[in-house]
Amino acid sequence: MRLNILIGGKAGQGINELASIITRALAATGYYVFNYREYGSWIAGGHNFNVICMSDKKTGSIDYDYEVVLALDDKTLETHKKDIKKDCLIISEKNVEVKNEKVRNVYFAAALFKSLCISKEVLLKEIERKFKGKALYEDDIKAVEESYKKEYGKKINCKKEGKPKLVMGGNEGVAMSALDSGLNVYFGYPMTPATGVLTMLAQAQKNPENKHFVFEPENEIAVANMALGASFAGKRAMVGSSGGGFDLMTEALSAGGIMELPLVIHMSQRGSNSTGVPTYTGQGSLNDVLYSGNGEFARVVLTCGDSKEAWDKTREAFYFAEKFNCASIILTDKHIVESDYSFDDFKKSNVKITEREIKLGKEIIRTSSYEHNEKGHTTEKAEEIAASIKKRVVEKIKNIEKEARKFEMYKVYGEGKNLIVSYGSNKGAILDAMDDLKDLKYLHLLYLEPFPEEIIKELEKAKQVFLVEADALGQVAGLIRQKTGFKIEDKNKILKYDARAFTPKELIAELKRRLK
Amino acid sequence: MEITTKEEISWCPGCTNFFIKKSVEDALKNLIAEGYKQEEFVMVTDIGCAGKMYDYLNISGINALHGRTLPTMIGIKIGNPHLKVIGFAGDGGTYDEGMDHFIHSCRYNNDMNLIVHNNQVFALTVGQATAVSQIGFKEKTHPFGVKERPINPIVLALESGATFVARANSLDIQGTKEIIQDGIKHRGFSFIEIMQPCITFFDNREILKKNSYKISTMNKEDAIKEAKKWNYEDNGKIPIGIFYKENRETFEDNYDILKI
Repeated sequence: MRLNILIGGKAGQGINELASIITRALAATGYYVFNYREYGSWIAGGHNFNVICMSDKKTGSIDYDYEVVLALDDKTLETHKKDIKKDCLIISEKNVEVKNEKVRNVYFAAALFKSLCISKEVLLKEIERKFKGKALYEDDIKAVEESYKKEYGKKINCKKEGKPKLVMGGNEGVAMSALDSGLNVYFGYPMTPATGVLTMLAQAQKNPENKHFVFEPENEIAVANMALGASFAGKRAMVGSSGGGFDLMTEALSAGGIMELPLVIHMSQRGSNSTGVPTYTGQGSLNDVLYSGNGEFARVVLTCGDSKEAWDKTREAFYFAEKFNCASIILTDKHIVESDYSFDDFKKSNVKITEREIKLGKEIIRTSSYEHNEKGHTTEKAEEIAASIKKRVVEKIKNIEKEARKFEMYKVYGEGKNLIVSYGSNKGAILDAMDDLKDLKYLHLLYLEPFPEEIIKELEKAKQVFLVEADALGQVAGLIRQKTGFKIEDKNKILKYDARAFTPKELIAELKRRLK
Repeated sequence: MEITTKEEISWCPGCTNFFIKKSVEDALKNLIAEGYKQEEFVMVTDIGCAGKMYDYLNISGINALHGRTLPTMIGIKIGNPHLKVIGFAGDGGTYDEGMDHFIHSCRYNNDMNLIVHNNQVFALTVGQATAVSQIGFKEKTHPFGVKERPINPIVLALESGATFVARANSLDIQGTKEIIQDGIKHRGFSFIEIMQPCITFFDNREILKKNSYKISTMNKEDAIKEAKKWNYEDNGKIPIGIFYKENRETFEDNYDILKI
């Protein structure tokens, strides 16, 4: 069973929170779930929606084909008319009787669970977890009881007593992993889709067990330079932003390179370029994170295809930053950070992060944005410059490349003669599409710098190699060619640049058309 | 431990930065004699002639990016609030490239000290106009002379909430030293602008000698009035001294995790 549930309403109505509750309650019954959020650049009034895919099999995607619709406003049914299946289960103001407007959404959630033949207990448990102790908690419970008593017409039997699945959002994967990795300071300036991590870490300061500090300064230039200062003082420092905000950080990225200061950067891609499409997704900033900055310096660029990988790679980002005194970039996109993924279990990454010896305050230490000798003093002498660059660039990059081989730099899924290559959030749709395709493997890249050149064996072995990428130019194919010499033919590039994530349905169609 | 390094000094012979360096050295020596620890001083320097202090003072530090002295200082202070952080930057780095950081730093009130070597010119790039160059100042990139009015950073700092605002005259080594000592001792963000004739590109030594007069600390309203008396042109009297001092909770005071 695989159901796509649309939950639509007005911005400000709490659509995302409602979807989050439903997602977690469904996972508690044993379903795999994927919760996708789509919203525009507005605060109140515009149309927002979430799509939850619930499935017996592991899933990381949705299709715009709805078997169930929760319409919290009139516009939902109208807007999504063409994507609503004929015999769709529709829960709307027409059949939900809201007796208490303050907890309106809860009536809809209970109506859904009733219609899916799932016990109200799982929903009540999730509501308890989320709202217990809050002002409207009693009203919430009453709303579930009242709403669950009613009948709503069509029913789909989704009764299940499976092993509960764990749900984790992409933002959570990055933010909580950072805390678990010993984050001391986080600097950020609000920019969708990177704001989630900033908010989560800021809120986490309220927990007295956490000892980190979060600050939101005047702009991303200050963000990045403050982080360098804190790193110099010996702290594990992290920053986060999206396209334009990251651009403002790139002079500090270069500076951190020459100063050799550890820094973790979360870069979350949005759609298109410049201001682009802020609340939508894309992968057009790959070259930006790989090549931005002036001069040559060591950097690490890691990616992830779901929230668990976000957790693991964020930790590895700290590992490399602290061990090699360099910048580590964890590259995500809107589709990863604002989606919820489900897992059978969750084992925390146990990569041990090097403890730096803190010398500042005890002895005289220096570092500089100007070329400098071993003592940190400015130099313009040819032999000192060359020695410095050899150590800081040539040798350090070699050492990082060697070290990276201790980690999972890519994964291969499936069996077959043909191969899909991709990275990041496309993973979910690709794996789900592969259920309907034969003779196909998926090579999922996780390390982009350093790059696993050894993938050449897989590329050369394959009958056909396809690229799936959410940009217009196929940037990762360019990287693959640069690093391995392997050229993915243009006709085999499946590119999408409408700021939406791939869906299995469209990938199946694109791949079937190309598979020989 | 020596207060200076043995690095070769690359300022122009006769540069007024030598005076500033002497004032800073003397101030640091006095403070160390009073119990401050040399290892706990951390400087952040900008790029330009002022930034060269990085190589000459024997204290820890970062020679940061142009214009980014202040955020780098704040980062260090957040990283370890026990450190005594001092910034050395020019007028270009502070009032042009880094103006946003300057205004916000006055607001934040971190317990740290910014020294601006104000020579009213981009000197190391050989003489272009900055935000405090005089109207009519002619150089290679302004062949018709500067048309835009200079910013008054003292007024700006006062209005933006800085808790220690001073102007020093680099030619007065003793006076400058005293202001620097007071600035470093001040709890909160102290901003000291040192008027520093550039003997190569903007030599106003005689004007500075002739037009300077000493002020004593006053209330904010009067301080703003006093600061407005000089608009960085040659024809006005130049107030020198500490305009304003205020005890306000520092950035670090406001967050438990940073409190000392």
